[in-house]
Amino acid sequence: MSSIPTKFFGDVDFAPDSVFTFPSGLPGFEDEREFLFLNVPESDPVMFLQSVTMRNLCFVLLPILAVAPDFRLKLTPEESEALRLTAEREPALGSDVLCAALISAKSGEPLCANMMAPIVVNVNNRLGIQVIHPDSGYSHRHPITIGEPALAC
Amino acid sequence: MLVIWRRAGESILVGEHIDVEVLEMRPHRVKLGIVAPQSVVIVRKETKLTRDENLSAALSMDADIVSDLLCLMSSDRRPN
Repeated sequence: MSSIPTKFFGDVDFAPDSVFTFPSGLPGFEDEREFLFLNVPESDPVMFLQSVTMRNLCFVLLPILAVAPDFRLKLTPEESEALRLTAEREPALGSDVLCAALISAKSGEPLCANMMAPIVVNVNNRLGIQVIHPDSGYSHRHPITIGEPALAC
Repeated sequence: MLVIWRRAGESILVGEHIDVEVLEMRPHRVKLGIVAPQSVVIVRKETKLTRDENLSAALSMDADIVSDLLCLMSSDRRPN
């Protein structure tokens, strides 16, 4: 077991094989390649993407379907390749891949989710990328409104 | 917003030092060639927006955001 100090969760113990690798980091954080997905049961469905190397860097995420239940993920061939997904069929959201949106809080504004550029991770090999889909019709600042939590992302 | 129609091979000049040329047109996308000084940053708009949102998101984590989100996500409408 390894342990990392974090700003928001104290010392976090984790098994090395629970680390998710983002080979290109995230836009704006291209050097941050290793993350843990943390969840606090009382905070479900909210999830946290904690950097393994930078203790202060932690993103708040919501499962994509919790924000927009009719969201459909359409990966380009390059994105599928980056995630090393086998191309036989469309990856199943919730089982092959998890998809979540980063949440931003700006004072004076409603909480919003970046639905244009969600995080997508391959559950089987723990590779992750942030895909940017300006054509999806979703906003990079999609306001979060009262609604039903979804069961899967 | 300045709106201009251009054909393939035609250009737009932005300021003194930037030249945007339509190199090729296809049914669903356009190939653009941009000549600009090294000091001018050229980036896909959605990449810049994502970068900015990520920076904002990185600064958003605190005790209140989680409780505010949970309040919004829950199906009963409880007052804050």
